[in-house]
Amino acid sequence: MFKKKISSLDKSTTVDIFIKRPDKYREIEKFSLNAKNLITMGSHNSYTPASFKRNNLSLIFTKFDRIINFDKLNKTITVEAGIELSNLLNFTLKHKMWLPQIPGYPSITLGGAVAANTHGKSSDTHGTIRNQIKSILIFHKTHGWMKLSDRENKDIFDLTIGGFGLTGTIVNVELELIEINGCNFTTTVEKVTSAKDAVEKLNKRDFTNTFSYSWNKTFNKKHFGEGLIFNNKINDNEKNLPINKMHFKSKNLDKYFVLNFWNKYSIKFFQILYYNYFTFYKNKTDNDNFKNVLFPYSGKEAYFHMYGKKGFIESQLLVPLNKVDIFLDELKHLINIHEPEIVLFSIKKIIGKELFLRFENTGICFTFDFSRNTKNLNFLDKLDILCIKHKLKPSIIKDSRLDSNTIKKCYNDFENFKKNLSEFDNKKVYRSELSDRIGI
Amino acid sequence: MNYLIVGASSGLGRDLAYTLSKNSHNLILISRDKRDLDAMKSDLENKYNTKINSYAVDLASKDSVISFLNNNEIKFSSIDGVLFPIGMMSDNDSITQIKGGIDQINNANFLSIVKFLEKIIPIFKEKKQGTVVGFGSIASSLGREKNMIYSASKRALNSYFESLLATFINSDIKIQFYILGYLDTNLAFDKKLILPKASTKKLSIKIFKNINKSNIREYYPTWWWLISYFISLIPFFVIKKLFKFIK
Repeated sequence: MFKKKISSLDKSTTVDIFIKRPDKYREIEKFSLNAKNLITMGSHNSYTPASFKRNNLSLIFTKFDRIINFDKLNKTITVEAGIELSNLLNFTLKHKMWLPQIPGYPSITLGGAVAANTHGKSSDTHGTIRNQIKSILIFHKTHGWMKLSDRENKDIFDLTIGGFGLTGTIVNVELELIEINGCNFTTTVEKVTSAKDAVEKLNKRDFTNTFSYSWNKTFNKKHFGEGLIFNNKINDNEKNLPINKMHFKSKNLDKYFVLNFWNKYSIKFFQILYYNYFTFYKNKTDNDNFKNVLFPYSGKEAYFHMYGKKGFIESQLLVPLNKVDIFLDELKHLINIHEPEIVLFSIKKIIGKELFLRFENTGICFTFDFSRNTKNLNFLDKLDILCIKHKLKPSIIKDSRLDSNTIKKCYNDFENFKKNLSEFDNKKVYRSELSDRIGI
Repeated sequence: MNYLIVGASSGLGRDLAYTLSKNSHNLILISRDKRDLDAMKSDLENKYNTKINSYAVDLASKDSVISFLNNNEIKFSSIDGVLFPIGMMSDNDSITQIKGGIDQINNANFLSIVKFLEKIIPIFKEKKQGTVVGFGSIASSLGREKNMIYSASKRALNSYFESLLATFINSDIKIQFYILGYLDTNLAFDKKLILPKASTKKLSIKIFKNINKSNIREYYPTWWWLISYFISLIPFFVIKKLFKFIK
């Protein structure tokens, strides 16, 4: 078997793994049945080590990327889980339909998105990808082929969405598509004076056909979170224009520069530059295309490379609406004491329901990016305590520091997930570095 | 145009199906597993609006091939070209380990192709046109301890296609034979190779561009020609020493 050294995208974990790349259905069966433990890998775009485990088999699923069925009338599509989301959209957009819960990078696979229960720019309207999933076909080493839906094997269906691939290999997914009127956007930018101001404005917004999120400065203690709100509204006037196929060049997310570029001076410099660019130079209203709006990291991979060899940490927190004020006050206090170097700070609204380990609820989603150093790690430890205190949800798929204790205390359903998964697969056949770390 | 692809569900066969379908050609796909064929058929029809027929045939089984050929003569009359991007290898393909696998490897890599052409060539002769594309392997350049039956059957195929070429040199039946080096397919995926693996997608585009040319015998990637040429120049006593050195 082929052994390969692999690192998670955030550079938190580097291990040797075995890999196989099935391209026939019988190979999924053969490779799974021959392995003691395994996990499925899509495009390997997760920040955390969710698709591999030291000395275990990772099944690379990218050859399973075909459209199994498309029902234009009923707006449903069944697709193999290894399809990259940009390729799926290239097909559906031709038919004026889309899947709105698209994470920020085009090469992420559908299976990866389902296993992480992703949300997209329109998380405030469409929630997470769970809302579009009608059924799933999985292959499990012990249970074989299983069709999952609300009517068939519902318990496993619920475990699989946002289940980090631990219920088996997601082979294909039936999705309910949503009509889209146009593929060009009008982007407006408005200023916010603080993080609280951003939350207030985002919370009041009517989100129909508009994706809103903020970008906030982190160095200004007096006006913590001063920044910009971006509103991307679908341009109805251009709905008859032909939709161009999206092309993406390299997928070199894995690379890194020799040194970490980010420190308090460079962060301040770039944040001032970015803020002033949108405040004084760029038009307040601008036209943008689908590709730029949906996949903001595409073409900007250097952002990840700039964290250097030690990589980065992304902390994404879901805060219930009634706890946002107190969270922001305490966060500000913590930042004043520990002075972490926060490279990126962004806020958006999200809707949904809590279940198992899904990063889903109705609330405000705060995202922070840090370089990996002692000062920032100390701050993040304190942030974990804040999460436990207020029962905030930290995103498991984004933050590879999170331990079992924090997750157990922040996710009400942690034990239920663990118990149900154990009843389904008591041998823990499907395992990753992530699942071992958080103790499931 | 209508093309038959034998060994269509993975690697080069799959890319050939996409390239031909993208260029509006109708296809008949043959492979072992119905599930793979159904997925490809649906994907190709949805994406390119071409007509796809598919048949599950175990090409490693002589009986399965003969039974299929005897029952589908009508389908073959519409074919304008046939491609055989098929290759079967086994981890046990050595003199002591192969045991029951000899027939399977030989059938898949050589005899099934001969059987198909036994049916199709008369149709092409009657139509006075047609394209036959075969694929050899660089592995057949030199005897070897591993992949023994594979390389032997590919050498047999090479010889068979030379004979086809000799037979149809002055006719409108086009015989094309590509001798393949390392390709980025599942056959080579988990093998540590010294030389780079070539893209099957690029190769499929090249084959499509050449599809109307007569009498092709090419190495892919091209530089394998040079390696093959040098191997052919090595005297047998040097080859013996080389084998001893490797052992």
